[in-house]
Amino acid sequence: MKPKTKILLVDDDMDFLEMHKAVLKNHGYDVLTASSGHEGLEKVRAEMPDLIILDLMMEKYDSGFSFSKEIKTDPLFKKIPILMVTAVAEATGYRFSLKEDGYWMKTDDLLDKPVMPDVLLNRVEKLLTERKE
Amino acid sequence: MKTEARILVVDDEQGIREGCKRALSPEGYVVDGAEDGKIGLQKVKKNAYDLLLVDLMMPGISGLELIEKIHLIDPEVILIVITGYATIETAVEAMKRGAYDYLPKPFSPEALTAVVKRGLEKRTLRQEAKKLYEERDQRLLELVNERSRIRTIISCMADGVLVANMEGRLVLWNAASVKMLKSRGFDVAGEPLEYYIDNQSMVDAIKEVLSAGDENFLMISREIEVETDPKTVLMANIAPIRGEMRSILGAVSVLRDITKLKEIDKIKSQFVSMVAHELRAPLAAIKGWLEIVITGEGDGDAEQQKQWLQRASDRSDSLLALVNDLLEINRMEAGKIAQKIEPVQLTDLIKKIVDFLKPEAGKKEITVEVKLPENLPLIQADQRDMEKLFTNLITNAIKYNTENGSVTIEGKVEASFVCYRVKDTGIGISPENLTHIFDDFYRADDDRIKKITGTGLGLTIAKKIVNSHHGHIEVESKVEQGSNFSVYFPF
Repeated sequence: MKPKTKILLVDDDMDFLEMHKAVLKNHGYDVLTASSGHEGLEKVRAEMPDLIILDLMMEKYDSGFSFSKEIKTDPLFKKIPILMVTAVAEATGYRFSLKEDGYWMKTDDLLDKPVMPDVLLNRVEKLLTERKE
Repeated sequence: MKTEARILVVDDEQGIREGCKRALSPEGYVVDGAEDGKIGLQKVKKNAYDLLLVDLMMPGISGLELIEKIHLIDPEVILIVITGYATIETAVEAMKRGAYDYLPKPFSPEALTAVVKRGLEKRTLRQEAKKLYEERDQRLLELVNERSRIRTIISCMADGVLVANMEGRLVLWNAASVKMLKSRGFDVAGEPLEYYIDNQSMVDAIKEVLSAGDENFLMISREIEVETDPKTVLMANIAPIRGEMRSILGAVSVLRDITKLKEIDKIKSQFVSMVAHELRAPLAAIKGWLEIVITGEGDGDAEQQKQWLQRASDRSDSLLALVNDLLEINRMEAGKIAQKIEPVQLTDLIKKIVDFLKPEAGKKEITVEVKLPENLPLIQADQRDMEKLFTNLITNAIKYNTENGSVTIEGKVEASFVCYRVKDTGIGISPENLTHIFDDFYRADDDRIKKITGTGLGLTIAKKIVNSHHGHIEVESKVEQGSNFSVYFPF
């Protein structure tokens, strides 16, 4: 039996951690959770997930960015796709470019909270397929 | 219509006075008489005459003396001398002293009317000339006043003004512009802009307007940053000055200090994005939970589904609390209008709040004790604000407490303040978090409080309430030992 696909959720909001976990688990993914960027980095090192779903705005407002910078500049982990989710996007005038800057803004996809279950599954599927190719 | 000319005949001979009157009245003149110099002078003082016929040889004041005296009273009046002893010398003397013409006795009515007519024409001319002189003088005065008025206005303006000519040389400025641009002082005019202004972007903007060309109308509004500590931001509005044929003659720049506005703008956008995050995140969570249950994507049995709905419900409670807190802050920022200040007995009020919160404390076996001495002074306060303040402080003391912990509320008088203290045996606040706990939306970055819900506005509100009652709030805390919040109110 092939090993399950491992997804790491990093979010400081317990509700999102648990609801995304429920959806993903229900569709057969192995789900890890971390409620801070620091804890997230530890889990990445220990578990080597196949995909990371990251909340952009955590307690300290840049920690989603710095977490992604850590991952994307590490040769071991930079291939892990990151799906960024945020409650603060265009509604507040923020605009996140996926292309901007070499690495610190680099994520592989961006979604606005609330993420509908089908959209979440769709994007996860897509990122995992792209990664295999 | 021109008013009739008024003539006074000063002659001691009644025959002459009557004769003149007879000859001149038919011409439409009003003729009056005086029999000597003294009466003549009195009449001149009293009435305005256009022309005087004066006999040189009279008893009392002599004609020559009279001429001088009359001119002192009315320098514009036309004087015609009449005398029976006409000599060239007396005529010359009279003219020297200001007489206009000379009529030897005896004279015919025709000669009289001719002389009078000429004299009155002269008077009309003189008056018109005088009026023109006055107008010219008035205009000159206005011109001088206008220039100095414009200078005064420009130099008193709070906004900076700079005028540069076509060659990019400074020709006019005011003190405010020197101050705003931190220039080395504009002691002399006419030097190139760079001589006065260090700020390259300001110089560039002016030159841009000057070089726009006569066909284009270029006005620049630009934010200019000036290197001061702290940094100043100016709004520069630069417009071309155009002469005839639309050619550009120069540029006028108006500078306004918008540093404060920029700060307010920044605070506003920070607040908007913070509120948007704080409101959007819980809404998204509620929506997320509902969506999982509706779509069935989370699977799970009925019990599990119920738990998820409960999570959505809990989150909507905290969203409601947040909205209430925001409204509370807004109410407070609206100022004292909303406050009803009256004497408040805080001890009773605190006991009521404690009774209300006891069930919440009971869940964690926390004991709440009110140790307030009798006869603490009443304070002048808004009852509703006080309820909110102590509810926030006591709720925090329960929320951030440990199982079997305790909350104590004490009070005492210190100088002219009455002090209330809410002490808990809770988890405490680390020194780095302690400095931020009164900030909007600040919740300690602490794993121990992840599961405790809060809006991050409770202490913000507490502080605002205390400040609006001229009091102050203090906090002491030790991690794992507990926190003391003390509020002081003047009484």
